[in-house]
Amino acid sequence: MGVPVGIRHLLALILLATPALGHELGTTRVHAVLTDETYTIDVLADRETLQRRLARRPGTFRDVADIRFGERRVIPEVALLADRVRYSGPLQPGAFTWRFELVSTRYPLTIDARGERVTQWIDGDARSAPFTRRMSFREYLVLGFTHILPLGADHILFVLGMFLLTRRTRDVLAQVTAFTVAHSITLALSIYGVVSVPASIVEPLIALSIVFIAVENLIVREVRPRRVLLVFAFGLLHGLGFAGVLRELGGDFIRALVAFNLGVELGQLAVIALAWLLLTSWSRHHTWYRQRVLVPASLTIAAAGLFWMLERVQS
Amino acid sequence: MTRLLVLIALVAPAALAHDFWIEPSTFQPAAATTITASLRVGEDFLGDPVPRNSALIDAFVVRDIASERPVPGVENRHPAGIVRVGNGTSVIHYRGKGSLLEQTPEKFAAFLFEEGLEHVARASRRPHRERFYRYAKTIVGRGPGFDTQFGDRLELVPLLDPRVSDRVCFRLLFEGRPLANALVAAIARDDGRRFAARTDRDGKVAITLPPDGVWLVKSTHLVAAPPSSGAEWESLWASVTFSR
Repeated sequence: MGVPVGIRHLLALILLATPALGHELGTTRVHAVLTDETYTIDVLADRETLQRRLARRPGTFRDVADIRFGERRVIPEVALLADRVRYSGPLQPGAFTWRFELVSTRYPLTIDARGERVTQWIDGDARSAPFTRRMSFREYLVLGFTHILPLGADHILFVLGMFLLTRRTRDVLAQVTAFTVAHSITLALSIYGVVSVPASIVEPLIALSIVFIAVENLIVREVRPRRVLLVFAFGLLHGLGFAGVLRELGGDFIRALVAFNLGVELGQLAVIALAWLLLTSWSRHHTWYRQRVLVPASLTIAAAGLFWMLERVQS
Repeated sequence: MTRLLVLIALVAPAALAHDFWIEPSTFQPAAATTITASLRVGEDFLGDPVPRNSALIDAFVVRDIASERPVPGVENRHPAGIVRVGNGTSVIHYRGKGSLLEQTPEKFAAFLFEEGLEHVARASRRPHRERFYRYAKTIVGRGPGFDTQFGDRLELVPLLDPRVSDRVCFRLLFEGRPLANALVAAIARDDGRRFAARTDRDGKVAITLPPDGVWLVKSTHLVAAPPSSGAEWESLWASVTFSR
């Protein structure tokens, strides 16, 4: 329905015809489409000029298009179609930038990503401004999950440390809830810039929290309100750590926050579910559970936490 | 020497400063026919088409022995002009209004080197703005009239008919006066071969060219922009195209 694409393009161009800095506006148009999985970039330009320029220099069409996601340059597939040169490949994480060496005039680069359209004016062989695509709910969810499993060894050990002390459902739930509520609070606060703690402080403290919870496992014998409070306090810390990841990605905060947090939660539940499966079936007898499982496991966790702490303080 | 110059042209890095010229659909039109005049921006005589943009045009005319007439065309379309040529020589002339350009210190230094302007300005330490002006001519047909002048701020005036003489000989005028020690380059369309020389005290330059091919002769000058004009420099780009 509505206006044909060609006219829409024209309207967009007229609306964007601001007195931009740079060379004369040429006939070149570049259109980039970023989907969840792929990128496709069409260069519509005077083909003869492109070919002649290419003939006078080393390299191929592949070499003259500098496509980057973050700092990393990607090597695209190249197709020479009737009216355009098409570059395509799998989408990578990081902000998208584009530079094309075979053009001397100013031209519009139109980027379509997830229903969002942005046009930038590029002067000749200059690099475009970085474009960060909004990630989907699912992508943030996966990001949150993988931040725990398998990437978040420190968070895994903390959750395990929390779980090891007791396998009474009520106690596990109390601790997990306290932890979740706490890290959700600080994640939200730091995403919105209310609190800001540098990673150089947060990361060693997260490591310290692992040592602390593991050592406490050796001292106390059951989950008391004090323990839940402690887990809550440490949860606040871990939330600050998660925020660092999200802030690096940018994008749509509310959706990112909800989806990422949900992913983190699912990751934690997966860790607990695995631990539950492994431990409860053969460790019903409290006496040797404490001696053969809780103590050695907590010691190992404490040692790992200590190692991380020293490592993070040094870096 | 020629080989060396060609080599330099081939390995030159991504272009920094871009020439502007007119490319007619033919340099030898039959009498009383219609040809198109494309505007081109590029380097090494390899240019991107520039559609007609009346906001940038100060003058776009064709002059022959009979008269001078505006060059009509369709806005936002390439080729920018449609020209009805008469007998003999026609000179198509384009004069642009100034446009602003953002210059980084690196690009400015490379531009000064490339255009032979290092005696005019020093490299800058910070980014600045430059207003550039285009003055382009193309000579089509045959016969006298090739040396007609348009009074551009920077203008290359042929002293001999560049289409037929062994040596092409130009006088470079800046605001009507000869400009000395300016770099003038002749570039071949087919392969980007480049021959260059500097003007003498009378603003004259002579370059021996191969007897055939389509050529772009160009020169660039740089002057300080007037205060509070929004730019620090003004660059003036003069070009003439012809076929031998």
